[in-house]
Amino acid sequence: MPGGDFHPWLFVIVAAWVLVCGLGVVLFRKVMYSAVAMVFCFLGVAFAYALLNAPLLAVVQVLVYVGAISVVIIFAIMLTEVHSGPLRLFFNRQTLAAALLSLAAAAVLAVAGLSSEVESVGEKSLTPGVRELSRIVFDRFVFPFEFVSLVLVAAMVAAIVLARREEERG
Amino acid sequence: MSPLAWWLLLALLLFCIGAFGVLARRNVIVVVMSLELMLNAVNLALVATANFRAGAPGAGTVFALFIIVLAAAEVTVGLAIVIAAYRHRRTVQADTYSELKG
Repeated sequence: MPGGDFHPWLFVIVAAWVLVCGLGVVLFRKVMYSAVAMVFCFLGVAFAYALLNAPLLAVVQVLVYVGAISVVIIFAIMLTEVHSGPLRLFFNRQTLAAALLSLAAAAVLAVAGLSSEVESVGEKSLTPGVRELSRIVFDRFVFPFEFVSLVLVAAMVAAIVLARREEERG
Repeated sequence: MSPLAWWLLLALLLFCIGAFGVLARRNVIVVVMSLELMLNAVNLALVATANFRAGAPGAGTVFALFIIVLAAAEVTVGLAIVIAAYRHRRTVQADTYSELKG
Protein backbone atom coordinates (compact mmCIF):
# COMPACT_ATOMS: atom_id res chain seq x y z
CA MET A 1 0.00 0.00 0.00
CA PRO A 2 1.13 3.57 -0.52
CA GLY A 3 3.55 4.56 2.16
CA GLY A 4 4.03 7.92 3.73
CA ASP A 5 3.05 9.57 6.93
CA PHE A 6 -0.66 9.01 6.45
CA HIS A 7 -2.96 6.08 6.96
CA PRO A 8 -3.21 3.80 3.90
CA TRP A 9 -6.98 4.03 3.99
CA LEU A 10 -6.68 7.71 3.15
CA PHE A 11 -5.25 6.71 -0.21
CA VAL A 12 -8.17 4.35 -0.79
CA ILE A 13 -10.68 7.07 0.08
CA VAL A 14 -8.98 9.65 -2.17
CA ALA A 15 -8.63 7.19 -5.05
CA ALA A 16 -12.26 6.09 -4.85
CA TRP A 17 -13.38 9.73 -4.59
CA VAL A 18 -11.36 10.85 -7.63
CA LEU A 19 -12.33 7.88 -9.78
CA VAL A 20 -16.04 7.99 -8.92
CA CYS A 21 -16.19 11.72 -9.62
CA GLY A 22 -14.21 11.25 -12.84
CA LEU A 23 -16.65 8.61 -13.99
CA GLY A 24 -19.44 11.00 -13.07
CA VAL A 25 -17.99 13.64 -15.41
CA VAL A 26 -18.02 11.19 -18.30
CA LEU A 27 -21.28 9.38 -17.58
CA PHE A 28 -23.74 11.99 -16.29
CA ARG A 29 -26.37 12.81 -18.85
CA LYS A 30 -26.86 16.43 -17.79
CA VAL A 31 -23.93 18.72 -18.44
CA MET A 32 -24.38 20.61 -15.19
CA TYR A 33 -24.14 17.37 -13.20
CA SER A 34 -20.91 16.63 -15.06
CA ALA A 35 -19.58 20.05 -14.06
CA VAL A 36 -20.37 19.47 -10.39
CA ALA A 37 -18.72 16.04 -10.53
CA MET A 38 -15.70 17.71 -12.13
CA VAL A 39 -15.45 20.20 -9.26
CA PHE A 40 -15.45 17.36 -6.74
CA CYS A 41 -12.90 15.45 -8.79
CA PHE A 42 -10.58 18.48 -8.72
CA LEU A 43 -11.05 18.70 -4.95
CA GLY A 44 -10.07 15.05 -4.64
CA VAL A 45 -6.94 15.66 -6.71
CA ALA A 46 -6.09 18.60 -4.43
CA PHE A 47 -6.40 16.21 -1.49
CA ALA A 48 -4.07 13.80 -3.27
CA TYR A 49 -1.51 16.60 -3.69
CA ALA A 50 -1.73 17.30 0.02
CA LEU A 51 -1.06 13.62 0.73
CA LEU A 52 1.91 13.73 -1.63
CA ASN A 53 3.66 16.45 0.38
CA ALA A 54 2.82 19.21 -2.08
CA PRO A 55 0.63 21.57 -0.03
CA LEU A 56 1.40 24.52 -2.30
CA LEU A 57 0.07 22.61 -5.30
CA ALA A 58 -3.03 21.64 -3.33
CA VAL A 59 -3.75 25.31 -2.64
CA VAL A 60 -3.08 26.27 -6.26
CA GLN A 61 -5.32 23.44 -7.43
CA VAL A 62 -8.20 24.69 -5.29
CA LEU A 63 -7.63 28.28 -6.40
CA VAL A 64 -7.23 27.71 -10.13
CA TYR A 65 -9.23 24.58 -10.87
CA VAL A 66 -11.98 24.61 -8.27
CA GLY A 67 -12.17 28.40 -8.25
CA ALA A 68 -11.48 29.70 -11.73
CA ILE A 69 -11.73 26.95 -14.33
CA SER A 70 -14.98 25.55 -12.90
CA VAL A 71 -16.54 29.01 -12.97
CA VAL A 72 -15.52 29.50 -16.60
CA ILE A 73 -16.92 26.09 -17.57
CA ILE A 74 -20.19 26.67 -15.72
CA PHE A 75 -20.50 30.06 -17.43
CA ALA A 76 -20.02 28.37 -20.79
CA ILE A 77 -22.70 25.80 -19.91
CA MET A 78 -25.14 28.50 -18.91
CA LEU A 79 -24.43 30.48 -22.09
CA THR A 80 -24.98 27.52 -24.37
CA GLU A 81 -27.62 25.34 -22.69
CA VAL A 82 -30.47 27.79 -22.98
CA HIS A 83 -32.87 25.41 -24.66
CA SER A 84 -31.83 22.00 -23.43
CA GLY A 85 -34.44 19.58 -24.53
CA PRO A 86 -34.21 15.86 -23.93
CA LEU A 87 -31.13 14.65 -25.76
CA ARG A 88 -31.74 11.60 -27.84
CA LEU A 89 -28.10 10.72 -28.44
CA PHE A 90 -25.79 11.34 -25.55
CA PHE A 91 -22.66 9.49 -26.56
CA ASN A 92 -21.55 9.65 -30.16
CA ARG A 93 -21.58 6.67 -32.47
CA GLN A 94 -18.01 5.60 -31.79
CA THR A 95 -18.61 4.79 -28.13
CA LEU A 96 -17.62 1.14 -28.38
CA ALA A 97 -14.43 1.97 -30.26
CA ALA A 98 -13.67 4.74 -27.76
CA ALA A 99 -14.13 2.39 -24.80
CA LEU A 100 -11.95 -0.27 -26.39
CA LEU A 101 -9.31 2.30 -27.28
CA SER A 102 -9.12 3.76 -23.78
CA LEU A 103 -9.02 0.30 -22.21
CA ALA A 104 -6.22 -0.68 -24.58
CA ALA A 105 -4.35 2.53 -23.74
CA ALA A 106 -4.81 1.75 -20.04
CA ALA A 107 -3.45 -1.75 -20.51
CA VAL A 108 -0.45 -0.60 -22.54
CA LEU A 109 0.38 2.18 -20.09
CA ALA A 110 -0.03 -0.15 -17.12
CA VAL A 111 2.24 -2.77 -18.63
CA ALA A 112 4.83 -0.19 -19.69
CA GLY A 113 4.74 1.93 -16.56
CA LEU A 114 4.08 -0.45 -13.71
CA SER A 115 6.18 -3.42 -14.78
CA SER A 116 9.37 -1.37 -14.98
CA GLU A 117 11.09 -0.54 -11.77
CA VAL A 118 8.94 2.14 -10.20
CA GLU A 119 10.50 1.58 -6.83
CA SER A 120 10.44 4.55 -4.54
CA VAL A 121 13.85 5.60 -3.26
CA GLY A 122 12.78 5.96 0.32
CA GLU A 123 10.01 6.77 2.68
CA LYS A 124 10.99 10.36 3.31
CA SER A 125 9.65 13.15 1.19
CA LEU A 126 11.82 14.81 -1.42
CA THR A 127 9.49 17.71 -2.14
CA PRO A 128 10.88 21.07 -1.03
CA GLY A 129 8.82 23.57 0.91
CA VAL A 130 7.24 26.79 -0.28
CA ARG A 131 10.29 28.94 0.46
CA GLU A 132 12.60 26.69 -1.51
CA LEU A 133 10.06 26.31 -4.30
CA SER A 134 9.68 30.04 -4.83
CA ARG A 135 13.45 30.32 -4.95
CA ILE A 136 13.54 27.63 -7.63
CA VAL A 137 10.76 29.25 -9.67
CA PHE A 138 12.31 32.70 -9.65
CA ASP A 139 15.86 31.50 -10.12
CA ARG A 140 16.10 28.44 -12.32
CA PHE A 141 12.71 28.65 -13.99
CA VAL A 142 12.44 32.41 -14.37
CA PHE A 143 12.35 32.32 -18.18
CA PRO A 144 9.48 29.78 -18.34
CA PHE A 145 7.73 31.84 -15.68
CA GLU A 146 7.84 35.00 -17.81
CA PHE A 147 6.98 33.04 -20.93
CA VAL A 148 3.93 31.49 -19.32
CA SER A 149 2.65 34.92 -18.35
CA LEU A 150 2.99 35.93 -21.99
CA VAL A 151 0.98 32.84 -22.94
CA LEU A 152 -1.72 33.81 -20.44
CA VAL A 153 -2.02 37.33 -21.88
CA ALA A 154 -2.19 35.93 -25.41
CA ALA A 155 -4.88 33.44 -24.36
CA MET A 156 -6.91 36.19 -22.69
CA VAL A 157 -6.78 38.41 -25.77
CA ALA A 158 -7.61 35.46 -28.01
CA ALA A 159 -10.58 34.48 -25.88
CA ILE A 160 -11.96 38.01 -25.97
CA VAL A 161 -11.50 38.25 -29.73
CA LEU A 162 -13.08 34.83 -30.33
CA ALA A 163 -16.07 35.21 -28.06
CA ARG A 164 -16.89 38.81 -28.98
CA ARG A 165 -20.09 39.30 -30.89
CA GLU A 166 -19.58 40.25 -34.50
CA GLU A 167 -20.37 43.91 -34.99
CA GLU A 168 -21.24 45.92 -38.00
CA ARG A 169 -18.05 47.15 -39.56
CA GLY A 170 -18.46 50.66 -40.86
CA MET B 1 3.57 -2.94 -5.54
CA SER B 2 5.59 0.02 -4.40
CA PRO B 3 3.89 3.15 -3.02
CA LEU B 4 4.65 5.04 -6.21
CA ALA B 5 2.99 2.36 -8.35
CA TRP B 6 -0.33 2.80 -6.54
CA TRP B 7 -0.36 6.53 -7.21
CA LEU B 8 0.64 5.96 -10.83
CA LEU B 9 -2.19 3.46 -11.18
CA LEU B 10 -4.67 6.06 -9.88
CA ALA B 11 -3.32 8.64 -12.34
CA LEU B 12 -3.51 6.11 -15.15
CA LEU B 13 -7.14 5.24 -14.44
CA LEU B 14 -8.10 8.91 -14.24
CA PHE B 15 -6.29 9.58 -17.52
CA CYS B 16 -8.17 6.78 -19.28
CA ILE B 17 -11.53 7.94 -17.91
CA GLY B 18 -10.76 11.37 -19.35
CA ALA B 19 -9.64 9.88 -22.66
CA PHE B 20 -12.89 7.94 -22.92
CA GLY B 21 -14.84 11.13 -22.26
CA VAL B 22 -12.92 13.00 -24.95
CA LEU B 23 -13.50 10.24 -27.47
CA ALA B 24 -17.08 9.32 -26.71
CA ARG B 25 -19.07 12.35 -25.58
CA ARG B 26 -20.96 14.50 -28.05
CA ASN B 27 -21.19 17.66 -26.00
CA VAL B 28 -18.11 19.79 -26.64
CA ILE B 29 -18.14 21.25 -23.12
CA VAL B 30 -17.99 17.76 -21.61
CA VAL B 31 -15.08 17.06 -23.96
CA VAL B 32 -13.27 20.10 -22.53
CA MET B 33 -14.00 18.87 -19.00
CA SER B 34 -12.64 15.41 -19.81
CA LEU B 35 -9.53 17.08 -21.21
CA GLU B 36 -9.09 18.78 -17.83
CA LEU B 37 -9.37 15.38 -16.16
CA MET B 38 -6.55 14.10 -18.35
CA LEU B 39 -4.37 17.09 -17.47
CA ASN B 40 -5.07 16.48 -13.78
CA ALA B 41 -4.06 12.85 -14.15
CA VAL B 42 -0.75 13.84 -15.74
CA ASN B 43 -0.14 16.33 -12.94
CA LEU B 44 -0.90 13.65 -10.37
CA ALA B 45 1.62 11.29 -11.96
CA LEU B 46 4.25 14.05 -12.05
CA VAL B 47 3.76 15.01 -8.42
CA ALA B 48 3.73 11.39 -7.24
CA THR B 49 6.92 10.61 -9.13
CA ALA B 50 8.61 13.74 -7.83
CA ASN B 51 7.59 12.82 -4.31
CA PHE B 52 9.08 9.33 -4.38
CA ARG B 53 12.05 9.60 -6.72
CA ALA B 54 15.22 11.60 -6.44
CA GLY B 55 15.73 14.22 -9.13
CA ALA B 56 16.04 17.93 -9.59
CA PRO B 57 14.61 19.42 -6.39
CA GLY B 58 11.15 20.83 -6.86
CA ALA B 59 11.00 20.11 -10.56
CA GLY B 60 7.84 18.02 -10.28
CA THR B 61 5.97 20.71 -8.39
CA VAL B 62 7.16 23.48 -10.69
CA PHE B 63 6.23 21.51 -13.81
CA ALA B 64 2.79 20.81 -12.34
CA LEU B 65 2.38 24.53 -11.62
CA PHE B 66 3.19 25.41 -15.22
CA ILE B 67 0.80 22.74 -16.48
CA ILE B 68 -1.97 24.22 -14.32
CA VAL B 69 -1.33 27.68 -15.81
CA LEU B 70 -1.35 26.32 -19.35
CA ALA B 71 -4.55 24.38 -18.59
CA ALA B 72 -6.18 27.62 -17.53
CA ALA B 73 -5.13 29.26 -20.80
CA GLU B 74 -6.30 26.23 -22.77
CA VAL B 75 -9.73 26.11 -21.17
CA THR B 76 -10.22 29.84 -21.74
CA VAL B 77 -9.47 29.65 -25.45
CA GLY B 78 -11.33 26.36 -25.86
CA LEU B 79 -14.52 27.65 -24.30
CA ALA B 80 -14.28 30.86 -26.33
CA ILE B 81 -14.15 28.70 -29.45
CA VAL B 82 -17.12 26.67 -28.17
CA ILE B 83 -19.15 29.83 -27.62
CA ALA B 84 -18.22 31.21 -31.04
CA ALA B 85 -19.24 27.89 -32.64
CA TYR B 86 -22.46 27.86 -30.63
CA ARG B 87 -23.29 31.33 -31.88
CA HIS B 88 -22.71 30.09 -35.40
CA ARG B 89 -24.54 26.74 -35.28
CA ARG B 90 -26.86 27.09 -32.23
CA THR B 91 -25.67 23.77 -30.80
CA VAL B 92 -22.75 22.33 -28.87
CA GLN B 93 -23.00 18.78 -30.20
CA ALA B 94 -19.67 17.87 -31.74
CA ASP B 95 -20.93 15.85 -34.69
CA THR B 96 -22.99 18.74 -36.03
CA TYR B 97 -19.81 20.68 -36.76
CA SER B 98 -19.36 18.93 -40.07
CA GLU B 99 -19.09 21.72 -42.62
CA LEU B 100 -15.57 20.77 -43.58
CA LYS B 101 -16.44 17.12 -44.02
CA GLY B 102 -15.38 15.90 -47.44
